[in-house]
Amino acid sequence: MKQSKDPFEAALEEQEESPPDCPVGEDELNSQTPNEAQNQTDGGQNILVDDDDDDDYDGLGPTMKNPSHPSSSSTPKLHSASVNARVAAAVTNKNKEYDDDEEEENVDVELSKFPSSADPTKMAKMQAILSQFTEDQMSRYESFRRSALQKSNMRRLLVSITGSQKISLPMTIVVCGIAKMFVGELVEKARMVMTERKESGPIRPCHIREAYRRLKLEGKVPKRSVQRLFR
Amino acid sequence: MSNPSTGTSSKAKVGSSQPAEASFKRKRGVFQKDLQHMMYGFGDDANPLPETVTLVEDIVVEYVTDLAHKAQDIGSKRGKLSVEDFLYLIRKDTPKLNRCTELLSMQEELKQARKAFEVDEEKLATLE
Repeated sequence: MKQSKDPFEAALEEQEESPPDCPVGEDELNSQTPNEAQNQTDGGQNILVDDDDDDDYDGLGPTMKNPSHPSSSSTPKLHSASVNARVAAAVTNKNKEYDDDEEEENVDVELSKFPSSADPTKMAKMQAILSQFTEDQMSRYESFRRSALQKSNMRRLLVSITGSQKISLPMTIVVCGIAKMFVGELVEKARMVMTERKESGPIRPCHIREAYRRLKLEGKVPKRSVQRLFR
Repeated sequence: MSNPSTGTSSKAKVGSSQPAEASFKRKRGVFQKDLQHMMYGFGDDANPLPETVTLVEDIVVEYVTDLAHKAQDIGSKRGKLSVEDFLYLIRKDTPKLNRCTELLSMQEELKQARKAFEVDEEKLATLE
């Protein structure tokens, strides 16, 4: 990764103090842990709220819900819970190795209480897989979780497309999410094309074009009723 | 095969020479930085090729444009454009639909949490 190493590194250092080792189940969620965790949570809240307006939806929501909740030990679980829910939805589409959730260190672990289905089992699974990640996998996973299209840019684009100024926030969020998943589909298909052609290295435009063509055949790309005449 | 480099430079010049029409002209490289990280996260190299990123950005903008046009067509029957129109468009695509409902519910949670947070702060302030 070339740029903006700093926010990731900073987040890494910030969260590194709390090792995500305690393999306890839901008990950790409810139990209160030492003050250190408390301080972390409190400190973390403000930081996270400010920083992550863009990342919130890819990462997790802010910890503001339960300020008394410990962050160090429970956040990995919570984090993994939310990650699970999200990854579960996304994983069917992305058949990569990100089935694990290990990002406790980096991502804005917030969300003290994440209402996802099959919480404890999924969390435990996530924990297990995440702990086995190599550094390379972790960094890639972190990029996967943290990256997002800017809401402001998307809003500007939507305004210019629709001509209407009334683009609500949920709409922007939804379109950003859809676009991110579409990028995922493109990149994954491009990688598949590369393995078919037995090529390696960075993805080249020809692979993306082939992937796009295949997606169009599958009907995953909305077809234009009128041909695009002037670009 | 088209030549991506010349295409890029011409678009960039056009974009910069028309600042007044900024709302209608699509500037290049709007999502470049974010897209680089995103593509790395999804499986590309740590440093994706610039022409690849540009191409993906073009494709994504076209995708969003088509999506928004279709949503507008649907929304015009109802009056104005709403989130429901987008959700209706991706109803066939289960992962996307699930992800969007999750995003929306998370946003609701965040809103509630923020409201609760402010109420707490007020209480603390009044107590002291």
